[in-house]
Amino acid sequence: MSAYPKNYNPFADDDDVPDVAGFGKSSGWNDPSEERRSEAEERQRRLHQEVMHTAQSALDSSNRSVSLIYDSEKTGAETAEELMRQGEALKRTEKMLDNMDQSLNVSQRHMNNIKSVFGGIVNYFKSKPEPKPEPAQSQQYKANPKLEEAFSQSKGQEERYQASHPNLRKIDTSGFGAGDIEASQERNGYSKNKQLSDVHKQLDRNLDDMSAGLSRLKNLGLGLENEIDDQDLIIDRITGKADHLDCRITSTNRQLKKL
Amino acid sequence: MDNSGKEKEALALLAEADKKIKSSQSFFGTLFGGSSKLEEACEMYSRAANMFKMAKNWSAAGNAFTQAARLHLQLQSKHDAATNFIDAGNAFKKADPQEAINCLNRAIEIYTDMGRFTIAAKHHISIAEIYETELVDIDKAIAHYEQAADYYKGEESNSSANKCLLKVATYAAQLEQYQKAVEIFEQVATHAMDSTLLKYSAKEYFFKAALCHFCVDMLNAQLAIQRYEEMFPAFSDSRECKLVKKLLEAHEEQNIDAYTDAVKEYDTISRLDQWLTTMLLRIKKTVQGEPENLC
Repeated sequence: MSAYPKNYNPFADDDDVPDVAGFGKSSGWNDPSEERRSEAEERQRRLHQEVMHTAQSALDSSNRSVSLIYDSEKTGAETAEELMRQGEALKRTEKMLDNMDQSLNVSQRHMNNIKSVFGGIVNYFKSKPEPKPEPAQSQQYKANPKLEEAFSQSKGQEERYQASHPNLRKIDTSGFGAGDIEASQERNGYSKNKQLSDVHKQLDRNLDDMSAGLSRLKNLGLGLENEIDDQDLIIDRITGKADHLDCRITSTNRQLKKL
Repeated sequence: MDNSGKEKEALALLAEADKKIKSSQSFFGTLFGGSSKLEEACEMYSRAANMFKMAKNWSAAGNAFTQAARLHLQLQSKHDAATNFIDAGNAFKKADPQEAINCLNRAIEIYTDMGRFTIAAKHHISIAEIYETELVDIDKAIAHYEQAADYYKGEESNSSANKCLLKVATYAAQLEQYQKAVEIFEQVATHAMDSTLLKYSAKEYFFKAALCHFCVDMLNAQLAIQRYEEMFPAFSDSRECKLVKKLLEAHEEQNIDAYTDAVKEYDTISRLDQWLTTMLLRIKKTVQGEPENLC
């Protein structure tokens, strides 16, 4: 007991600590308990500070996360627009390659006419080259149902998540309610808890924003994936057609040189 | 060292090409196949121009390309002429922007004549970019972007058309042509919200349209927001919509602090870019300006 105040002295800024002298167990039953209470208050204050500090840093980090998610969404949207533009350019390229193929057919017939009379007669009996029917615009529609499915699935998941979330929130605030009562009856302790509950509410709102943003990002990613897959197919077809055309043009050139 | 050597070679080639042309115009030249001489001269001009490019003498390169292009026109090969004009334009971009624009314009004429509107549109965009950056003539830039958008629409390339239209709208709003900007933003946004991929950008366009409405009149903005929410429910959940509503409230109450706070709050999460900042400042001035009227 006598060692107790000596340990406590360095920390004692306030006047709660009684003098070292005149410190008996019998005298002043209140003194040791007051000391213990002030030490407990000090600890409580420190713990409150730590808790506030942690909560604040959690809030800051969640703010940063929300802003990052919005940035990603913006980048994703710009990428989507660029992809759409490229998709259109690719479709145009494919159409033009088809046109070139047709033109080469026509020029081949003309050359057959020129080369020989027999060739001309054969041409007369061959069917006229018809313009190919345009490739069906079915690709866009294929992307849509898959995306709609993913969209509705993620919506269902979001609802389930939200159903579980309010429960969690109830537990938090009830914990605060208990804390309010159990904490020291000083006004300091009460206001700190209110601050804490505000911070936690803001944190919850940020987490909601984050979850909504993440689900949007997921859908955006799925949409981008579909578009890229479609464009891959188009690119493969274009490569094949371009090679084919290349061969035909070289052979046509050779024939022209021979004429 | 190598480059100056290239330049001398290029000059020599130019001289030779000039001689060839003169000789082709003489009597004997036309007898003995003047056109092949012209073709050779064309090729020499192109080679000379490329050498000038290696020597980084951009204006000389541009001139050589223009010469080659004119010869191609004489030879009735429009494609090659247009390609050479484009090369000339690119070379002049680094030396003399005005001359570059002239070359590009001539190339565009040839392409539109042939019916190649997509390429013409692409070069309209190049010209508009030169006006944006080097010559800083926003009106002409807007005109070229509009022309490009029209050509793209004609060729059913809606995404490219929308890209040009957005630039037009951005500059129009900067120049306070709010009506035009609003029309374009609304048009692009309604087109975007139907597409699976583009709908993520739709809210941004609605936001910009609402800000333009706001610059004109607060009531317009309120009606516009209601319309957009009906058309596109997802817009009401977005932070942009919430920001506009807060700004409308602050404007009604003439509360500058609420306005600034709302903008600052939005800025902490998503940085505001130059255009948005300008628009918001203009709207803020109207909030500040009104108390003077009341007094």
